[in-house]
Amino acid sequence: MNSVAIVGTGQTKFSKDDDDVEKLLFESTRNCIQSIENCEPKDIEGVLVSTNNNSKYLGAILSETLGLQPKISHSIEHLCSSGTNALISGYAYISSGLADLVLVSGAESATNPGQILEWDKSRGSFEHPIYWASMLTKSHKTKFQTTEEELAIVSAKNHKQAMDNPLAYSNQPRTISEVMNSKQITDDLRILDCSRSCSGSASILLASEEKAKKISDQPIWIKGIGQKTTSASFTKNNLEEIESTRIASKIAYEMAKISPNDVDVAEVHDAFSVCELMAIAELGITDNHQSGKFVRNLFNTEDRMINPRGGLIGAGHPLGATGISQTIEITNQLQGKSEKRQISNLKTGLVHNMSAAGTSSSVLVLEN
Amino acid sequence: MTFFEEQLKQGIFQISYCEKCNKKIWPPNEICHTCFSQSKWQKSKNIGKVIEFSKKDSTYFGLVEIDHGIRIMGEILSSSTPKIGQIVKMQTSFNLKPHYSFIVENN
Repeated sequence: MNSVAIVGTGQTKFSKDDDDVEKLLFESTRNCIQSIENCEPKDIEGVLVSTNNNSKYLGAILSETLGLQPKISHSIEHLCSSGTNALISGYAYISSGLADLVLVSGAESATNPGQILEWDKSRGSFEHPIYWASMLTKSHKTKFQTTEEELAIVSAKNHKQAMDNPLAYSNQPRTISEVMNSKQITDDLRILDCSRSCSGSASILLASEEKAKKISDQPIWIKGIGQKTTSASFTKNNLEEIESTRIASKIAYEMAKISPNDVDVAEVHDAFSVCELMAIAELGITDNHQSGKFVRNLFNTEDRMINPRGGLIGAGHPLGATGISQTIEITNQLQGKSEKRQISNLKTGLVHNMSAAGTSSSVLVLEN
Repeated sequence: MTFFEEQLKQGIFQISYCEKCNKKIWPPNEICHTCFSQSKWQKSKNIGKVIEFSKKDSTYFGLVEIDHGIRIMGEILSSSTPKIGQIVKMQTSFNLKPHYSFIVENN
């Protein structure tokens, strides 16, 4: 199997305002191509678009906008983890030898249809994500004695880290007390525990080893990939676990020949505060009983190891772009290009992206 | 509208199951997940137990298990705070989407 590297990245600012998906895709793609000095756009052989937007034929539209006639071009939708799944598809095209250079571009407008899974009749009229998030939060508090303050720290930490992310939808700091006193959505969820659906776009250029060495002096290698789908319907989940994340991470660690202890930095899918606590436990970074204390310690020591760009809660959640934006953050961190957010001495980074109450998870391991 | 939805509209919760595999199929499907044969339908007993719950504004909602293994999100109708494990009676309706209500017994 051929090695695959990330050689270029580009993004737009995330915003609460609605925006045109085609325009957003072009903007992040242009930034991506311009991030590489030696890139000839005509060499791009694959154009993959990740979105939940209803617009049609976006792979071909983006290709035409860029003046490309690629060998491979199509859209990829997998709800909130569309972005990492598009990257995995791009990886597969290159590692199989079907293409040497693949552009993966994700975009979403703030009012997108990706939050509701109409097929899932088991959710009844409680179809919005706040309802399953309330179930997970209540269960976590009961089962692992997680406190409201520990949940609030996740949000306070991620908002604080997003202050140094110029592309985040908001750079407003939020104290623990502000989170705990923010608008109550349900008995177990405050508004500042929730990530916000945003407009935004993120693009990555993937290259084969031979191509990467020609056009990049700082390629970041995708060393491990794990993807696991356990179901589509929420009610098959055990409330106290995200099985898909546990399995996907095991696969990714094995492929990368690393253990959770080797992870220096991670972007995890904090759709809601409780999701970050559950994710870091399922990824093996800590355990469920310690996850609240683990995050409190990160916050108190200003350690940005988890969600340095601010996660979904701090940066915003443009569904189809989220997994790509997470991957760009880890890429930039491993390249030493994260400016105010930079963590020192990094070798291995992890991306965790998931869909529909954790019924599907993707995990990527990146190395410099 | 599917058979499941048509029946819900009449207040009947039908469970799809595979006769051959002796398995329930949830969410409802006309095809068995295991052997791909055509599934059959049987009416739920409409009795469940509360697995987890929360509250939005003045409405309790939660995850309820009916018929040994079918878990559903719905409204919990109770004058006092529901309890995990509490037995509830299910009522269903359908208006563009399903709605499930669970009434706490001896409320």
